[in-house]
Amino acid sequence: MYLFSMASLSEEVLLVVKKVRQRKQDGTLYLMAERIAWGPEGKDRFTVSHLYADIRCQKISPDGKAKIQLQLILHTGESTTFHFSNESSALKDRDAAKELLQQLLPKFKKKANKELEEKNRMLQEDPVLFQLYKDLVVSQVISADEFWANRLGDMNNSDPTPYNNKQDVGISGAFLADIRPQTDGCNGLRYNLTADIIESIFRTYPAVKQKYGENVPHNLTEKEFWTRFFQSHYFHRDRINTGTQDIFSECAKQDEKGLKSMVVQGVKNPLVDLLSLEDKTLDEGYGVSTTTPSTSNANRTVKESSNAAIIKRFNHHSAMVLAAGSRKGQAAQMGTRGILTSSSLLLNPFFSLAIEYEDLQRENRLKTVALNLKKSDRYAHGPVPLQSQHYTTSQDIINSVNHIRHEMVNYKPNLTQVLSSTAASSAITALSPGGVLMMTGTQQAINQMIPTEVQGELKHLYAAAGELLRHFWSCFPVNSPFLEEKVMKMKTNLERFQMTKLCPFQEKIQRQYLSTNLTGHLEEMLQTAYSKFHVWQTRRMLRKT
Amino acid sequence: MASEDEINLLVIVVDVNPIWWGQQAQREPELTLSKCLDAVMVLGNSHMAMTRTNKLAVIASHCQDSHFLYPNKNWRGGDNGGEDASSSGDGKYELLSVANNLIAEEIRNVMTKTEVRGNSTETLLAGSLAKALCYIHRVSKEVEVGQEIKSRILVVKAAEDCARQYMNFMNVIFAAQKQNILIDACVLDSDSGLLQQACDITGGLYLKIPQKIALAQYLLWVFLPDSEQRSQLVLPPPAHVDYRAACFCHRNLIEIGYVCSVCLSIFCNFSPICTTCETAFKIQLPQMVKPKKKKLKQST
Repeated sequence: MYLFSMASLSEEVLLVVKKVRQRKQDGTLYLMAERIAWGPEGKDRFTVSHLYADIRCQKISPDGKAKIQLQLILHTGESTTFHFSNESSALKDRDAAKELLQQLLPKFKKKANKELEEKNRMLQEDPVLFQLYKDLVVSQVISADEFWANRLGDMNNSDPTPYNNKQDVGISGAFLADIRPQTDGCNGLRYNLTADIIESIFRTYPAVKQKYGENVPHNLTEKEFWTRFFQSHYFHRDRINTGTQDIFSECAKQDEKGLKSMVVQGVKNPLVDLLSLEDKTLDEGYGVSTTTPSTSNANRTVKESSNAAIIKRFNHHSAMVLAAGSRKGQAAQMGTRGILTSSSLLLNPFFSLAIEYEDLQRENRLKTVALNLKKSDRYAHGPVPLQSQHYTTSQDIINSVNHIRHEMVNYKPNLTQVLSSTAASSAITALSPGGVLMMTGTQQAINQMIPTEVQGELKHLYAAAGELLRHFWSCFPVNSPFLEEKVMKMKTNLERFQMTKLCPFQEKIQRQYLSTNLTGHLEEMLQTAYSKFHVWQTRRMLRKT
Repeated sequence: MASEDEINLLVIVVDVNPIWWGQQAQREPELTLSKCLDAVMVLGNSHMAMTRTNKLAVIASHCQDSHFLYPNKNWRGGDNGGEDASSSGDGKYELLSVANNLIAEEIRNVMTKTEVRGNSTETLLAGSLAKALCYIHRVSKEVEVGQEIKSRILVVKAAEDCARQYMNFMNVIFAAQKQNILIDACVLDSDSGLLQQACDITGGLYLKIPQKIALAQYLLWVFLPDSEQRSQLVLPPPAHVDYRAACFCHRNLIEIGYVCSVCLSIFCNFSPICTTCETAFKIQLPQMVKPKKKKLKQST
């Protein structure tokens, strides 16, 4: 059935409810695949239409009231109320709508929130990203969609299977104890059973599940079944009186058989392989806790005393819980009769870890090729100084040596005549700030001359420009019309960026500080981008003509 | 508290290359080797006078060998003979006068024993630095347990660099860096790339002085304070060091070159076979784009 709505979508319709009033007008309510809509009687168009993603929750009027209503509350705070006015089936209609909504709303809620949450988280975690976002999106240089286009790639590309694959819920070992009975006032007990507990019971004790399947709903209602279950001595600690009237007496017998067979099988693995019960890391996974390994070393000649019965019950319970947890996973099949053979021990990975040492085994050396250097003395020589070596003739050498020998023969330190005052003062002048030797200092202090806020602003400009340029350059080579559009948009973005951010910054520093060229490089980069765009554009024109 | 004072050891390595100094004496008689040694002595005395726990060592770097001018063997056994020589009569701190006399005596011995050899005309600076490092190492081992000792080396350089000592020099520099020993350089004549690198790597000061006759003033102003005090003073800023590598074929300094990935030897031009390790290299030429043939429309 196709309907024309304001957005002219044709969606699959899940439920139609006639005679629904909204704002004192009669009409029809439509629940579709992604939205809920209401149109007045006789008209083709929807006056009210809400996406499920926008709906925060729904409310229904309490049972006793005359008016049967359903209210939708949106994330924005608005609310819409529908009054079901069909005399005969109002309640049913309302309930049907409510049920459907209950199923649909959670699916859409998670998706919308998840994206926003993810975005918020990313912005909060990374201050650089946040600053970039502020610079580019808030000041409207590029749109938010473009900004998030590359960043959320991981999240959108991954298959939404985490939402489809339900993780197996483990069984708590204490689930029976968790059903805490409350006193009902007069000698009765009230058990609160939730769906989780029921599921745990069924998984741990398949016999009970079988009985449930047989008896409900033909013979007993659910309530009666569970009442009987709790009353039965099967449930209670001591199972001495197993009357035949009890439908659970068979279960008790089955359990005995099961326990005996488990004893016969023996313990497959004295070192319980905890790894087979590991976490499944889908979404938020929780580990499965294991109860203590059950080594059922019960003798066959166990007496039917109450203590032994309790112990047996505990052992059996633990074994069933463990078995239920690993039933889905692989079972380590080792040995035919369960007797631990030495070979099966060695196959056990846990054992092999314990008895093998890595460094005692033979080394596996990779085959290497030896380095064969022909002229290794080349490494020993440094660079030849650029100034030409002036040669000293042997006569020069002799003269110099003689001279120096002559001079130093009668050397006596004359420490009072080492320095003249003129020499000293000229040296001091050269060494003082501004002197000959101190000149190179001023050139290096540029990062001390510009204050930190200006430096910070410059860094932000670089980050923003870098982001825009990255988008721009990634469009080349321009193969598709989408890229063509994008490249033209990016060029306008770059120009806008230059006008709104770069030029004011330049003016500011020119007014206040030295005429140091801080933005020269940025301008160069932008200019390169512009010229590339220009070249591409002219080529495109030529190709078209 | 005296024993808790930090010991500062200054080792001065003086370049006494006789050929250079002899020629220098004929070129510019204002700064002779005697005057240079006087200035070095002034610095040494000042250093020892700063704190009682300061120590000094002076090494003469010759073209034949390296000599310890101070302390030397004569000092140890010189309790008897030293009395006459050390009494200079001017009330000088005895340690200083002893040091001066020893230095003077030793340098006289060294220079008179100079022989003329044509093949070795370069200062053995790397060797002197190695000796200085060994001395520092020995002194730091002999010091009491728990006593801190800080050392630095000052090189007073006269002659030019020797390219043959490059490897040894670099080894010495890295050893000094590992031991946290500063190497300062006071260069009299021509800039020395090796010493510039040494100062840059170890954190010392490099200075080429414009006026040789004011050597003492430069030494006292720039090189007397130790590394902690230097942070409080305004001293000449470090110069730009040329760290460019030299190509293995011509020994030219290059900025962009080719490096063999097997033996890491550097070349200025590409050659398909590395001459050091004889590995053959293939460089892929850019793919030739074949022009697309336009399909002619079949006219029906």
